[in-house]
Amino acid sequence: MTPEPRVIGLGLDRVDGPAKVTGAATYTMDVAVAGLLHAALVRSTFAIGTITSIETAQAAAAPGVVAVFTHHNAPRMKKPSWNLITPPPPVPLQDASVHHYGQYIAMVVAETPQQATAAAALIRVEHKAATASLSLDAPALKARSNPYFLDAKRGDVESALAAADITVDATFSTKANAHNPLGLFSTVAYWEGGRLVVHDSTQNPYLIRDSLAKVFSVSKDKVQVLVPYVGGAFGAGLRLWQHVILTAMAARAVGRPVKTVLTRPQMFTGIGHRPATIQRMRIGALRDGTITAIDHEATSTAAKVANVLYPVTLSTPATYRCDNVRGRDRQVRLDIPSPAHMRGPGEAEGNFALETALDEVAYAIGMDPIDLRMRNYAKVHPQTGLAWSSKALDECYRQGAERFGWADRTPRPRSMRDGHWLVGYGMAGVTYGHFQAKCHASLTVRDDGTVLVRSGATDIGQGTYTVITQVAADGLGLDPANVRFELGDTDLPRAPQAGGSGLATALSNAVRDATVNAIAALLSLASADHASPLHGCSARDVVVAGGRIHRKDDASRSETYGAILTRNGRSELTVQGSSAPSRAETGVLLGSLAVSRMGRAGRRLVEATHAIAPAGAFAAHFVEVRVDPLLGRLRVKRMVSAVDAGQVLNEKLARSQIVGGIVGGIGQALFEEITTDEGSGRVSNATLADYLVPVNADVPDIDVVFVGEPDSDNAVGVKGIGEIGLVGVAAAIGNAVHHATGKRLRSLPFTITELMD
Amino acid sequence: MSFEPPLVRTAVQVNGFERKLEADARLTLLDALRDVIGLTGTKKGCDQGACGACTVLLEGRRVLSCLTLAAQCDGRQVTTIEALAGDDLHPLQAAFIRRDAFQCGFCTSGQIMSAVALLDEGRAGSDDEIREFMSGNLCRCGAYPNIVAAIRDVAGGRNHDA
Amino acid sequence: MREFAFVRPTNVEQAVELVTGDPDAAYLAGGTTLVDLMKDGVLRPRRVVDIARLPLREVIRTDHAVTVGALTTMEELAAEPVLAERAPVLREALLAGASTQLRNMATIGGNLLQRARCRYFRDPSVRACNKRSPGSGCAAVDESARMHAILGAGESCIALHASDLAVALVALDAVVHLQGTTGTRRVPLTEFYRVPGSTPERENVLEHGQLITAVEIPLPAAGTASGYLKIRDRASYEFALVSAAAVLEIRDGVIHDARMGLGGVGTIPWRAPTAESLLRGARPGTGVFRAAAASAIRDTFTVPGTAFKVALARRTIERALSTVSGGTP
Ligand SMILES: Cc1cc2nc3c(=O)[nH]c(=O)nc-3n(C[C@H](O)[C@H](O)[C@H](O)COP(=O)(O)OP(=O)(O)OC[C@H]3O[C@@H](n4cnc5c(N)ncnc54)[C@H](O)[C@@H]3O)c2cc1C
Ligand code: FES
Ligand code: FES
Repeated sequence: MTPEPRVIGLGLDRVDGPAKVTGAATYTMDVAVAGLLHAALVRSTFAIGTITSIETAQAAAAPGVVAVFTHHNAPRMKKPSWNLITPPPPVPLQDASVHHYGQYIAMVVAETPQQATAAAALIRVEHKAATASLSLDAPALKARSNPYFLDAKRGDVESALAAADITVDATFSTKANAHNPLGLFSTVAYWEGGRLVVHDSTQNPYLIRDSLAKVFSVSKDKVQVLVPYVGGAFGAGLRLWQHVILTAMAARAVGRPVKTVLTRPQMFTGIGHRPATIQRMRIGALRDGTITAIDHEATSTAAKVANVLYPVTLSTPATYRCDNVRGRDRQVRLDIPSPAHMRGPGEAEGNFALETALDEVAYAIGMDPIDLRMRNYAKVHPQTGLAWSSKALDECYRQGAERFGWADRTPRPRSMRDGHWLVGYGMAGVTYGHFQAKCHASLTVRDDGTVLVRSGATDIGQGTYTVITQVAADGLGLDPANVRFELGDTDLPRAPQAGGSGLATALSNAVRDATVNAIAALLSLASADHASPLHGCSARDVVVAGGRIHRKDDASRSETYGAILTRNGRSELTVQGSSAPSRAETGVLLGSLAVSRMGRAGRRLVEATHAIAPAGAFAAHFVEVRVDPLLGRLRVKRMVSAVDAGQVLNEKLARSQIVGGIVGGIGQALFEEITTDEGSGRVSNATLADYLVPVNADVPDIDVVFVGEPDSDNAVGVKGIGEIGLVGVAAAIGNAVHHATGKRLRSLPFTITELMD
Repeated sequence: MSFEPPLVRTAVQVNGFERKLEADARLTLLDALRDVIGLTGTKKGCDQGACGACTVLLEGRRVLSCLTLAAQCDGRQVTTIEALAGDDLHPLQAAFIRRDAFQCGFCTSGQIMSAVALLDEGRAGSDDEIREFMSGNLCRCGAYPNIVAAIRDVAGGRNHDA
Repeated sequence: MREFAFVRPTNVEQAVELVTGDPDAAYLAGGTTLVDLMKDGVLRPRRVVDIARLPLREVIRTDHAVTVGALTTMEELAAEPVLAERAPVLREALLAGASTQLRNMATIGGNLLQRARCRYFRDPSVRACNKRSPGSGCAAVDESARMHAILGAGESCIALHASDLAVALVALDAVVHLQGTTGTRRVPLTEFYRVPGSTPERENVLEHGQLITAVEIPLPAAGTASGYLKIRDRASYEFALVSAAAVLEIRDGVIHDARMGLGGVGTIPWRAPTAESLLRGARPGTGVFRAAAASAIRDTFTVPGTAFKVALARRTIERALSTVSGGTP
């Protein structure tokens, strides 16, 4: 028997492709149910204060209106449980107080969306506004230090800085960004008896289920959340949002299904945003390129309404071998809508400061930026001293540089030109954190040889439908065409959120486990059966291929899954699978903190109790830019990204993930900024014509190469790559701009104003 | 609130079938397709003419259905994503799958309808031309390079045939 | 959107009568401005008069001019072969605007009458907007304005006229044909728009109900070079931060005729006559281009967010002039 090529890793087409290219895929906003009503939301037009009167009679009398809800008549609801990473919003419409611009203060439910929207415009609100704190530079604000208790340090930064040959001390700023998934977030809710069914644009269906159960005082099994397709989310779908609560509330109150589709402007205030930061980065180095000190301090904006875990400096101590490192976070709580995790949260901002400052060091000592990074390469996890579960960042630098043609770069700024355009090359490295959560899946083998895998995960575009189909097919030696994967339903086995670049690792290992369990279960049927060619075999004695279980000692003796089932009088067999993060995951986090508090003693403690540090993905981005210095125009001309993604599950889709992240990074670097009005906190660019995201013409060809080996910390060898594509792009572009123009830009996004000579 | 304008009668040819609407004049073509006719393949990403997700063909030309009133389409031909595939996928649909020209898939109907028109307009002559004339269709997942590749494949195929 | 009645008159006279006789009526052409602003609650007509099918879609060519029916779409006009030959500036300005989808809908008449993109104007929850509610003030002046005007602007209003097409058309000395209940009228585009002054709600000389029926575009003399340079953050699908339409007739190394339109800077599509007179009679070169650029951007009214446009506009003009003059045979 010749071994078949592995299905894992192959660049198969998306299994959900046909549904998506024909318009057949049903997103939440496409859900139609009999008797559906439509909701429109009214938002506060001031940041903080009290509603003194709200006049709804005209709206209530408008054609088609079924109900109008305000804090006067909305049902009382319970608070959802609090949690650190995805805290819930305040329960809406419970009192007259307003905590940020855009808070929902009324909801109209009508027969058609046009009627609901028109009636909502008839509601008159009077209010008393108080003075709001809206930005990092708001006067009289106190920043809170170490808000997440994750600040880390090692060595003695101050002495090392004092002793360094050169130091870079620079301040960086990044602006608030909006996720702006193209799909407007939507919710459809209806109650059937005491049961609540919710279709929602979410990455985290179980959180929605559990939270709504609490809010409406029903048991969790009385709530079902469905989400087969999501029109993008980028982190905005990790939390429970107020419109979801309101939709379920209204559906219960009027006794009919209700649909809410947020408007694009509402998407800027109702589903989170990437917070703004100001960061100070100090780096000390010796002339030979040894980095002796890194001190990273970051202050980010947070909302008073919800405190989201949002460390910005977390990865800095884990990035370079350097004896003296400090990462400190600070937080300023404002009267703004809640920030949320957005692709590479904190990492994208922190990396921009670190990798830009490193480029400054390279110039200060006259060393090639890649050589500088290699000189300070962290062969082990630098904070704990533990061996990485895998790391091929050096290969990322090497292969990326080669494909890019880095050697052609003349290091002097403004030394390369093409007509009006200055040409610049820049690069940045990325060390991304590891994340994994508990995950469950079920797997059913049918007597016709097909397999159904189920888990309540979500596919927001990252390709989970496809890669999990491949993992199951691979584990069972099946053609992927015979495997179907169902997701997006909380009645299925529990999966974690599609976030933190953690779902692929969690789910692929759970499904791998399910395939192992399936083979074991089938084998125990066959093994006990004298008529089976597999009689007497244990798992050790067999291999699977071509939809059959084969004896290792005699590959010609084999049996199909279907035959085993049929002979045993069964039409199908279902097994469960699960995965959980290894002990090393928390070990590294606690270990890092132990080293921060206890220094060497902490390090000895970690080494005595742990063997490895589980690694996330690594990457190096290379960029060529063109800058028209008179007119301030900046264009990204081409990009090469080399990524250590461990075991790639699907080459084609993984490349798309990286490219998509890079496009997000181009947006962060060149365009994206939420602007707000002073006083009211109104978002003054809350449309897709005013808040700019990259268009097709902004994006060049992007060459992605995967390097490295399967990771040793999980059975499948996967590392998450949902976010790493974005992180580092801004620094690479900024470094290229410096090379092109000699200007060091430390504030995102880069603007024409700064780029003009 | 005494103003109650009459409903508007409109007959639109949608994907070759006549659809009679008797509707609120405010109804956009996009909402008519999605909420009344039940063709939800055409998507709403902004409702403000800024994203291209709602692109359909009106009399063979690409337009934004969110800024078009259904009433404006009386007697007109509208083509949506649902009409492209026969027994086989349209070459662009197949190329989009092959090139992985989408992720979440939300912009995809609009991208493909726009690309169908782009080829008719003869504007797929180079990658740069494709990029420029596909810039009215945002893709927040960032599938642009693959979208360009998919269109290039089909345009190249066409040039060969010709 | 407020409820409205939808009517489709069958001829021009009927359309003009319908709208003239009803202060709450509005013409609907491509709808890309009107429907958008009705959704936002900024325009609230009770009667929408669909003119898109009126027979105003002809393009008539003579040796000296093209006369374009007001309901011709931007894409249709851009495809006119004579533009590529005689007035590339117009074709470039058309294709630099919006997206193909929008250009297939948007009409020439509608484009000239498109409303400000100012987010304070477009959001009725903002109280202060002199354009939307006269006398209420201007929020944009105090808040974060970037896509706003620096010429023809003042404390009362800094809203930009964002049309690209109109910038090329003012440079080409286009003439607008109007029809009202009392007859027809021709107005040069340079006299069509009104700077805000103390009445920002009055954007042009059009009376309610008057219909633009056509735009007459004189074609530059053969051998005239022209071009449109649009500067924006994105590479495409964005309004101009600054733009320049340059039309230069150079004979024997001397600028015989020069016309300049500026976009992204004016409360109205901006013509730069002083720059033009500096250029006329001069030999093309950096010195005179720079002087022309400086003279075009004078007496500016800026807020912190728009201050960068002063230098950017001058450089854009300079670049446009040097590109267009280099392109002369
Ligand atoms: C996302 C987006 C991006 C855009 N980008 C650009 C850009 O980059 N450059 C650019 O130049 N434009 C741009 N536009 C604006 C677009 O070009 C205009 O909206 C369009 O040209 C208006 O034409 P229309 O036929 O759709 O007008 P309509 O919306 O139908 O009408 C506009 C106004 O003019 C009135 N009207 C229309 N026709 C006549 C007539 N013949 N006589 C009298 N009154 C009339 C209407 O009553 C209405 O008040 C953009 C628009 C959008 C939505
Ligand atoms: S929904 Fe029509 S352009 Fe965005
Ligand atoms: S595929 Fe998600 S927006 Fe394009």
